[in-house]
Amino acid sequence: MNDTVVQHSLRIIENLKSHTSEGADNFNIWLWIAIAEFVIIVLLILFKMINVKPSKMQLEKEEAINKEVDFSNIINSSFNSTELYKVLIGKCHPDKFATDPYLNAIADKLFQEITQNKTNVKRLEEIKKEAKDKLKINF
Amino acid sequence: MFSNSWNNILDWFRDRSERSKLVRSFNESARNSYINGIAPTLLKCKISKGERSYKHQFSNWLNTGFRIQAFTGRTLTKEEIIHIGEVILNDDFLTRKLVVLGWDTLEIHGDKGTYGCRWQLKDYIPLPNYKLE
Repeated sequence: MNDTVVQHSLRIIENLKSHTSEGADNFNIWLWIAIAEFVIIVLLILFKMINVKPSKMQLEKEEAINKEVDFSNIINSSFNSTELYKVLIGKCHPDKFATDPYLNAIADKLFQEITQNKTNVKRLEEIKKEAKDKLKINF
Repeated sequence: MFSNSWNNILDWFRDRSERSKLVRSFNESARNSYINGIAPTLLKCKISKGERSYKHQFSNWLNTGFRIQAFTGRTLTKEEIIHIGEVILNDDFLTRKLVVLGWDTLEIHGDKGTYGCRWQLKDYIPLPNYKLE
């Protein structure tokens, strides 16, 4: 009796084993198909990303972000540009060189640059140096 | 559709990083200028709520204000506050960068908080009418 029960159990186990091994093969195939589909989708997305042309808005954004800003000049200009501007417009006014047309032309050009760069200390310092060399002004 | 969403996510993270970098650079320069005696007042910038009516096409969804506050040293006068604003707005590179990184409001405040000034950034940089893609 025990032997038949044991044999019966063994037969059931063998049947189960054969069923699960068939299922495992099927499972493996579907798993590989799913993996292949996932890889294809990822590749399609990457391909589309690479081929997307940036819009004008994105190009302008990229250009603006990549430019370096001189913060030390901005902070310096915030507190020190007014004084330097006043000194320069006083000394470099074209009317002070009315007798000499050559110097008058240079002073006129420099004066325009001074008014355009009223709030930029770095550029005002450069103009001051230029005025010292070309107009022989003693600051 | 997926590539657009993916690019938007990447842009959002990149913009956040660039904004933090800009704020850090400003604060570092302001600190060094104050320590070296170039600036009589310590300025500090931070991201603020901003003004919703100043929105433009690059504006962030939230926190679109670029606030500069004077912290220590002597008190700033109203004229000085306006002058600081003019200096920033006359710098095309900085203003353009503020606009494309999502800011639409420039705010400058004195240390006592009694008054401050505010500017709409898009008034200082011409923005073409881009079609949203």
